[in-house]
Amino acid sequence: MTDKIPVTVLTGYLGAGKTTLLNRILTEDHGKRYAVIVNEFGEIGIDNDLVVGADEDVFEMNNGCVCCTVRGDLIRIIAGLMKRQKPGAPAFDAIIVETTGLADPGPVAQTFFVDEDVKAKTQLDSVTALVDAKHVMARLDDSKEAREQVAFADRIILNKTDLVSEAELVAVEARLRKLNPLAPITRAERANIPLDQVLGLGGFDLGRILDINPEFANPAHGEPGHVHDEHCGHDHHDHDHDHGHAHAHHDHDHHPGARGHAHEDDIKGISLSLDRPMDGTKFTAWLDRLLGEQGQNILRAKGIIDVSGEDRRLVFQAVHMILEGDLQREWGANERRWSRAVFIGRELDEAALKAGFEACAA
Amino acid sequence: MKSMYDAQITAIVFDTEGAIFALGDGSVRFEDGAFSAAHDGAILCAVAHPSGTGIVTGGDDGRLIWHRRTDAGVLATSARGQWIDAVDASAESGLIAFSAGKTLTVLDAKDAGFRRDFHHERTVSGVAFEPRGRRIATSTYGGAALWFARIAEQKPTFLKWAGSHTAVTFSPDGAFVVTAMQDSQLHGWRLKDQKNMRMGGYPSKVRAFSFLSNGQLLATSGAQGAVLWPFVGANGPMGREATEIGFDEGSLVALVASQPKHGVLAAGLNDGRVWLADPPGQGLNFLKAERGAPITALAMSPDATRVAWADEDGNAGVSEAG
Repeated sequence: MTDKIPVTVLTGYLGAGKTTLLNRILTEDHGKRYAVIVNEFGEIGIDNDLVVGADEDVFEMNNGCVCCTVRGDLIRIIAGLMKRQKPGAPAFDAIIVETTGLADPGPVAQTFFVDEDVKAKTQLDSVTALVDAKHVMARLDDSKEAREQVAFADRIILNKTDLVSEAELVAVEARLRKLNPLAPITRAERANIPLDQVLGLGGFDLGRILDINPEFANPAHGEPGHVHDEHCGHDHHDHDHDHGHAHAHHDHDHHPGARGHAHEDDIKGISLSLDRPMDGTKFTAWLDRLLGEQGQNILRAKGIIDVSGEDRRLVFQAVHMILEGDLQREWGANERRWSRAVFIGRELDEAALKAGFEACAA
Repeated sequence: MKSMYDAQITAIVFDTEGAIFALGDGSVRFEDGAFSAAHDGAILCAVAHPSGTGIVTGGDDGRLIWHRRTDAGVLATSARGQWIDAVDASAESGLIAFSAGKTLTVLDAKDAGFRRDFHHERTVSGVAFEPRGRRIATSTYGGAALWFARIAEQKPTFLKWAGSHTAVTFSPDGAFVVTAMQDSQLHGWRLKDQKNMRMGGYPSKVRAFSFLSNGQLLATSGAQGAVLWPFVGANGPMGREATEIGFDEGSLVALVASQPKHGVLAAGLNDGRVWLADPPGQGLNFLKAERGAPITALAMSPDATRVAWADEDGNAGVSEAG
């Protein structure tokens, strides 16, 4: 049997630079064989034998479960691509799926967990969102899909950074972080990002969820993308606030920003942590119930849990209601044992999540 | 006969002379050693030519090609080079039908100028001629469409059933249309009154189905044994139970093959084994008993005397069934 082929999903609206990046992936001298699935109504200008047009054919499976909304065209195309597989060798080193700016990344990702044939041959590696530094703020204001694509991503590539000022970049990064505290943001010009920062990230690989922590979820003061919250312990007014970050409960006097979005985005990432060990049974019951009840609104979740009486780390990741969890490596002798989780979604009640999480303490 | 290929065998068909293997590298290998390499890409689907000579293949290069032992020629191309996902042919009417994206195209093997293109709202996943070759059923999202093969301007009869339908077949008496669905079940319609038939209970997706015993049985893959649905009388399988033969807890039947006029059934398993059964007898005769890579292609000759198989590792063979 051959290894499963990694699949990278590339999201981003028209003009974000996806075509430039895809052309680089196809033409750069990397000695790899890639298949690229593009949207046939999307940007044009990619010319290669291994480019396949998809029609974003989303459908619900008959069981009526929202996580069984999948992309039928991907099932068909991946089955077709697998016919190029040779004995003992995978058909491709990787598959890249491009989506349009209007696509919901959920069904794309779910296809890789729900369809038995796709699951047998491929493995979702990561979802990368490409955003255009100059226009992303306006897009995030007016497009639900743009917010969802950022929130869903394992990595965000902030492209065309040469077209905006450093202050604007800081503002953009702050807003992206609030939408998605899990995904590293990489700056790029003309999509000049090293391919190893797009391919082979292992975004859904439990074994590679090594670190989730507030330092990562929320960069330190002075770092790009730092989001001030109640843990900051400093005077918010010391900082340049023209990026429109928002605390509904802090009615302080910051600029609403040129686009007037003084409101919070409907989607945000919530980071939870606990320094005491957790009751494994209580935690899994809480997580199951949470995803069952709010899975439609939870785009992504990841966590590392310190389970009482267990020397190994409990690691989980979820896409909507699809949950994968496993006991991974042992805690190191000098490692800080603590539990942390990030939930990214719509209309999440932060206080309730925090209370529920903490109630799982052993 | 046994052979090994360095590409995956994606389909096998029998013509009047023998087995023909279609490969993922775009080539076609005849049982007697003849070779045709006409596609630029993988062969996605294949069917015997209506004349009884050679194989018609659809590729991811958007070409439909007729390969004979001595030559090959392009019969048609799809719009914008779209993948040709499904193909069927009718010896009775001499027509060939294939799908690419949302379009069903009908060709006449005897009239190179004849072409009909029929458009669907969603992508077509399967194509099947009615036994006399005058109508065509296509499977798509939300049901199956029925077209008259030769009429240029028409609205299809749409047989509705919610969900994604991934393959389609006609019963040999032309009374029923059956589809396989994404969610591990079959769906059927009795054409005279469009009565629905739900045929479920599968642990896995159904990749293959085939009628046998003069159309009295529909055999399918997708379970630990081959599943047999009774199609006797006007009600078909309605209100009746399916039976399962060759049940083996440790494996799944990946593919089945049979011929409508004969009572023999071949099954290819996901553990590499291939068996033959005369269903009423319930006895299994293993044509390939050694385990290996999953069986990816399986076919039975029109006279039901020979079975050809191939596995994911490129091994292929033809066995006598008698």
